[in-house]
Amino acid sequence: MIQPDNSSAIITVKKLHKCYWVGSMPFPALNGVNLSIDRGEFAVLAGRSGSGKSTLLNVIGALESADNGEVIVNGENILGMNHTERTLFRLHNIGFVFQSYNLIRVLSARENIAYVCQLQGMEKKESEGNADHWLNEVDMGHLGYRRPDQLSGGQQQRVAVARALATNPKIVLADEPTANLDTKTGQKLMCLLQQLNDKFGTTFLISSHDPDVKNAASRLIKLADGQVVRKWEKIPPTTPPLSKACPIKNLPFTQRVRQFLRDKRKRSSQKDKKGPTPRRS
Amino acid sequence: MIKPVIYAVALRNLLGHLRRTMLTVGAIAVGLSALIFLWSFNDGLHRNMLQNFQDAIIGSIQIHHEGFFERPELSRHLRNPDKIITTVEQAGVKRWSRRLEAFALAASDETTEGVMLIGMEADREPGITDLEKRISIGRFLREDDEYACILGATTARNLKLDLGDPVIMIGYDRFGALVAEEFTLVGIITSGEMGLDRGMALTNIKSLQEMLDMPGGVTDIVLRAPEDGIQQLTDELIFALSDENVEVMPWSTMFPVMNEWIILHDGFLYLFLVVVLFIVLAGELNTMLLSMLERTREFGIFMAIGTERYEIGLMLVFEALFIGLAGTLLGIIFGTGIVLVTHSTGIDLSILLGSTSRFYVDSLIYPHLNLDHLGTTVGAILIASIVAGLYPAWKASRLQPVEAMRNV
Ligand SMILES: Nc1ncnc2c1ncn2[C@@H]1O[C@H](COP(=O)(O)OP(=O)(O)OP(=O)(O)O)[C@@H](O)[C@H]1O
Ligand SMILES: [Mg+2]
Repeated sequence: MIQPDNSSAIITVKKLHKCYWVGSMPFPALNGVNLSIDRGEFAVLAGRSGSGKSTLLNVIGALESADNGEVIVNGENILGMNHTERTLFRLHNIGFVFQSYNLIRVLSARENIAYVCQLQGMEKKESEGNADHWLNEVDMGHLGYRRPDQLSGGQQQRVAVARALATNPKIVLADEPTANLDTKTGQKLMCLLQQLNDKFGTTFLISSHDPDVKNAASRLIKLADGQVVRKWEKIPPTTPPLSKACPIKNLPFTQRVRQFLRDKRKRSSQKDKKGPTPRRS
Repeated sequence: MIKPVIYAVALRNLLGHLRRTMLTVGAIAVGLSALIFLWSFNDGLHRNMLQNFQDAIIGSIQIHHEGFFERPELSRHLRNPDKIITTVEQAGVKRWSRRLEAFALAASDETTEGVMLIGMEADREPGITDLEKRISIGRFLREDDEYACILGATTARNLKLDLGDPVIMIGYDRFGALVAEEFTLVGIITSGEMGLDRGMALTNIKSLQEMLDMPGGVTDIVLRAPEDGIQQLTDELIFALSDENVEVMPWSTMFPVMNEWIILHDGFLYLFLVVVLFIVLAGELNTMLLSMLERTREFGIFMAIGTERYEIGLMLVFEALFIGLAGTLLGIIFGTGIVLVTHSTGIDLSILLGSTSRFYVDSLIYPHLNLDHLGTTVGAILIASIVAGLYPAWKASRLQPVEAMRNV
């Protein structure tokens, strides 16, 4: 077990419990979750369907309340907030990426992004400039005028990512962001998220079943029946060789991750064979 | 402080669901223009009715000796008619006429019938009433007529009289002595109105004064004034004539039934207004609720990304306000347009009523736009349409983001 280091932690969850009530039947979704995520991490929440991933993300993102426990996000106690405080907390601290994109239908891609900026108090002109900047950042600069229904799933999800980051949040929470995308598009999106994590240092917490996503994690948290069952430690920085894993961009961080994983696999297979440790060439 | 982007998004929602927006706006516009038209038609009808009613015989205002209207006795004749006329003219009234009224028994060779015998100024009377136009056979009175007489069609028929026949009028003078004179029937009035066709006989005021031995005797001074100035003129005359022992009575005091009938009629329109309001309210409530339910998921998203509750509410209220304003504006344009057109052409009711007038209503009605009624109608519709937006707005602002987003 890794003890949470509170000084660098941006998310601290302690003994978190949450029950859903179906009629008079209590349905525990979170059963004493403990976890801690540091600033700038690229953390992945894994676990089977129904294990409580979405619930945990929603509580951390101040979308839902919980029954018991403590959730400190960016130094603020989420569970003690009222409706308005939570809304404003989300606006200023959290960026959301959802499985089903969740863009506003009647607004164009650009307006979707500009909207949240204006909610934060930005002037219209400035927000539009900001939207364009973030559209370029996710490679959607040329399609900003399109409405969501005129974009493919992958394109919509890129816009959603841009929207999540445009408010300059401390944390981006992504609930199965690749689940509705085909493998290739999903991979591209993960590359994008990692790139953004690398470039801006924003903390990411992503839930997923997708092995590709898990492989990209700097920290992996596995949930089962509303409890954390396994945590991975951080991946130590390694010198990256060239990799073809990210076809669109050359991403040092991803390459590092993949290399690390490859090494780890090799190491473990060699341990099994008890043979001599081969060296990387 | 309300962020302008909220309004911008509301506007986008309206444009994004253009068909629904148009339908709701259209429904309000149709309801409102129908109301404006109906009310104008009603007002036109009333004006026409009041006009005809006053034109028929009673005029706008009558001045009598105190108590004459209650008990029309000759002893209650006006003591100072000339002074009253001076006062009336000073008040700016040009259309006035003197009358002398007395009960009489009209007798032919066949039978008798009680009538109100009215002595009129043949030259001034056409400025007050349209009796002249209602003569169906013969002619109206002339200034130089002596003992000429006009009867209503029913009375003439009852008495079996033809034009040129002699009619004996028997009455009492103001001392109660029996007097009688022979008149010549010069005209017959057919109006379709009970009060005119029966029980009334017209003659020259001079002849009647002579018959009753009351030279210069006058019981009524009848005035004609525009409808909306009647009350003020009445008050003015009451004040100016406070030294005289007279009663100044507008038509509405003399025949309150007519006034009540109009109030009743307006009441029906208020009822109709309420019905239309209800339809507008229900219709818009339905649209707004549907649109709210349809967008539940989207409101969840709005909230998740940082839109506050009141901002969601405002968004919907603004949408309702826009729909209400647009619908009202269109309704005013349509409604007044129809009224303006029909005001110049008139609406022919002869298919419904036949070509003769009934109960003082002509078969051609000119709708009239009453600004008070327009204001009431427009205000009520506008308020109703905004109220219809409040409930969905409140509902939407109560949504929980996660639950709302679970909606498909
Ligand atoms: N609104 C709700 N009412 C009742 N039970 C709920 C509700 N939402 C979630 N649950 C239950 O809580 C548990 C955790 O659900 P959650 O959605 O967090 O799982 P998940 O890990 O995100 O699953 P998936 O991978 O399928 O998205 C599940 O057993 C689910 O049935
Ligand atoms: Mg889930």
